[in-house]
Amino acid sequence: MSESTDVADFGSNRFVRALLSASTYLLGFIFFFPVLWMVLNGFKTEDQANGTPVFFFQPTLDQFRLVTESIPGRSSFGEVIINSFVIVLVSTMIAMILAVPAAFALSIRPVTKWRDVLFFFISTKFLPVVAGILPVYIIAREFELLNTRWSLIIMYTALNLPLAVWMLRSFFQEVPSELIEAARIDGASLRSQLTSIVLPIVAPGLAATGLLCFIFAWNEFFLSLQLNTSDAQTASVWVTGFESQREDFIAKLSAASTLVVLPVVVAGWVAQKRMIRGLAMGAIK
Amino acid sequence: MAEVKFDEACRIYPGTDEPAVDRLNLDIGDGELLVLVGPSGSGKSTALRMLAGLEWIDRGSVYINGKDVTLSPPQDRDIAMVFQNYALYPSMTVAQNMGFALKQQGIPKAERMKQVREAARILDLEPFLDRKPKNLSGGQRQRVAMGRAIVRSPQVFLMDEPLSNLDAKLRVQTRTELADLQARLGVTTVYVTHDQVEALTMGHRVAVLNFGVLQQVDTPAILYSRPKNRFVAGFIGSPAMNLIDVDVSGDRGLKLGDLDVPLSPEVAAALETSGPGKYTVGVRPEHLQIGTEGTPGEVSVVEELGSESFVHVAITHQREPLNIEVRAEGETTIQRGDNVHVAFRGPAHLFAPDGERVGD
Amino acid sequence: MQVEEQTSSDAASMARSDAVKKMEKREAWSRRIPLLPALVFVILITQIPFILSIFYSLTEWTVNPPRPRTFEGFENYTFAFGDRFFREAAWVTAKMTFWAVFLSVLFGLGMAILLDRKFRGVGFVRTLVLTPFLVMPVVASLVWKTQMFDASFGMINWFTGQLGLEPFEFVSKQPLWSVIGVLVWQWTPFMMLILLAGLQSQSTSVLEAARVDGATKWGIFRQITLPHLRNYIELCALLGTIYLIQVFDHIVGLTGGVSSTINLPFFVFRTSIGGGWRFGEASAYSILVVIVTIIFATFGLRVLSGLLEGEDAA
Repeated sequence: MSESTDVADFGSNRFVRALLSASTYLLGFIFFFPVLWMVLNGFKTEDQANGTPVFFFQPTLDQFRLVTESIPGRSSFGEVIINSFVIVLVSTMIAMILAVPAAFALSIRPVTKWRDVLFFFISTKFLPVVAGILPVYIIAREFELLNTRWSLIIMYTALNLPLAVWMLRSFFQEVPSELIEAARIDGASLRSQLTSIVLPIVAPGLAATGLLCFIFAWNEFFLSLQLNTSDAQTASVWVTGFESQREDFIAKLSAASTLVVLPVVVAGWVAQKRMIRGLAMGAIK
Repeated sequence: MAEVKFDEACRIYPGTDEPAVDRLNLDIGDGELLVLVGPSGSGKSTALRMLAGLEWIDRGSVYINGKDVTLSPPQDRDIAMVFQNYALYPSMTVAQNMGFALKQQGIPKAERMKQVREAARILDLEPFLDRKPKNLSGGQRQRVAMGRAIVRSPQVFLMDEPLSNLDAKLRVQTRTELADLQARLGVTTVYVTHDQVEALTMGHRVAVLNFGVLQQVDTPAILYSRPKNRFVAGFIGSPAMNLIDVDVSGDRGLKLGDLDVPLSPEVAAALETSGPGKYTVGVRPEHLQIGTEGTPGEVSVVEELGSESFVHVAITHQREPLNIEVRAEGETTIQRGDNVHVAFRGPAHLFAPDGERVGD
Repeated sequence: MQVEEQTSSDAASMARSDAVKKMEKREAWSRRIPLLPALVFVILITQIPFILSIFYSLTEWTVNPPRPRTFEGFENYTFAFGDRFFREAAWVTAKMTFWAVFLSVLFGLGMAILLDRKFRGVGFVRTLVLTPFLVMPVVASLVWKTQMFDASFGMINWFTGQLGLEPFEFVSKQPLWSVIGVLVWQWTPFMMLILLAGLQSQSTSVLEAARVDGATKWGIFRQITLPHLRNYIELCALLGTIYLIQVFDHIVGLTGGVSSTINLPFFVFRTSIGGGWRFGEASAYSILVVIVTIIFATFGLRVLSGLLEGEDAA
């Protein structure tokens, strides 16, 4: 029988391999189940969702309609989604624009103290956001940035920069130094080296980094809660508003949750191959 | 007119004691193909990169066409370089790779394409202009690297082991093509290789480096027949010259085994004046012969190459066993274990205890 | 050894070598420029709050009831060490972080090994496994609390009920482990991705050579794969620790801050704007958290490297 070349398979016969594949499928399903269940609950009525688990039901879009309706006193779904998108996209863009030259200066044409600089970047993540919220709040208030999108844009950029710099730097390391030397001899300026030579090579890494920044920023909850109370509310805070003490809420919460996690899940699914390649390149150095 | 001159050029890597290139003095004529050859770590690549501007020149200077370029960045030196791994830009087509430098100079697209096509024609690359490097074979990539250099019409070509990554047969073929191309274009070329056969067949002159120090620079013929020191003698020529240590004291003459070593009159006279010491006799395999006369020995290995054979003989020299390699013409009937005699076919080289050639 | 002869031509080449040194300096500065925008931005946004926190930590500053802020030196710090709530929070942080990182790396490794094989639909399964990482933490916490862990109607209890077991109140009886469970659910995919990348970057020739040499599957894993994965595991541990020490959303979502799940970030929050309004103390706690994180990050790395090293020697 044909021997598989994967180490996990080596020495196994077809039956064992089939068993392994089946177990993998099962584990995959178990991992995914909570998400699946959540999405299903969004299509049920509150009665169906809040009692003993119901597996067969007539799907309805009622909950989705309810959560996207405008309710006075509460930010609308449309507003919230737009806020989240704007904040996350702008902060990711700024982070990438700042991180690319920085990564360049830590890898291809490194500054002398690049190790220290890298460690400094990572060390900025050692102070938990929760702990540093007080000065941030005070300063944001001083600059009248509370309840605006800019407060979060700035904070998310700062929170994602260390990760972006670190990952981009590892991708840049993959570029053979000979290519840069050839470009220098060919008369390419620093900018030209970066845009014509380096960026096309590290494009998958750029995508992976951008995606990770997107994920972390979109899913962030605490800062959004503290800095934006009514205007500029983001999806993460909005969705928690559906938890209720007075009435059954699981179906509504599930519908809202489904809507809110959809962008990131879709992005992650589409780009996962890139992410793996990106993380692979990012890990080894 | 593009002469190249190294003037006391030094490169010391920060944190090391010994220079990688130690006071290199080298004059390269216009249109000349000069080969820098030496073992790993000899400084040949470093010297090339100093000329390219990719390494700082810590002391001394470098001139291109009479102009001091020591402090100029690579793009201002009007040079082109072919890298060992070709360094082709993977995201660009062959045409874009070759036109990249021209684009940096601001040359408009039409003119660029014209020059690219011209270079492509010379190198038979026209069918590949729209391909990306990953879709090319090793040999094709090598030619693109050459094309990228030619398109620039530089004053100097720099080549850093450009053939090392080709398989043996392709390497030999490309070697002659490259030498021919250089002769046609007439551009001064500095060529680095670790392969001394490549060096001897391609270079107008060859510069041998060891540990950062220039050992000798001469035409291949002179390097081969009159090596300046023991290192060059052992490095140049394949198979290598036999180098035998001989203790010379007053009463004992110069002997290999029980054989007198023949020397040319000048060398003999020079030996007289130098006096006793630990000398080295150098004799190439083709200057020895196997026959009925000479110092006796037993055959240990026979290498049959068809056109010639190389016989390794174990003799006794200064009461110690010693292996010598002797060349035999054509096929041979000599076998391992045979008892033979080894004799000289001409005068030998002699090197003083300090390694320098004795005589001139 | 090179002997430097001082001749007039040497004087000229010494002068030139100064020019080279000057150019080197200028080039070094030109390398720093691309780094500056990111560096300055990060310093401004992160260091100012950090320094302010240090400053506040040295004061006594409560807001409810409002009192003037006075300078107290290190009193907040000495208080912290004596405060049993602070110590509790530190201990919870240690447990939570350790188990979350350890289990997610372990399960991540297992999944990565299973997914490193080629079979029909492997990409699909990988996508399924990836999803928990993409879900918003607050959403994950709420969904698990209400739909998975729920004692009456949660899916886990429904399933164990089918097997005849009594329902178990996960969140009330084992709040810390409930939190850890959700954390592991969310972070295993992340570890899996990194480790999968590591597994796929192994050199097939090395693996084949080992098989030819007669190594068993387990032997190959221990002696070739694990050492190769060491860098990747370290990265997982480092990133995991950094992010997991700061867990907050899950605590809010799952337990609402039950005392056995209060880690340091949550404790700081409670002390400051989460009800305590004692900003001086809270700031001191924050600074201590930074120190704890540094210790964790380096300790965690060393322990893992040590383990692998030990395996190798055996």
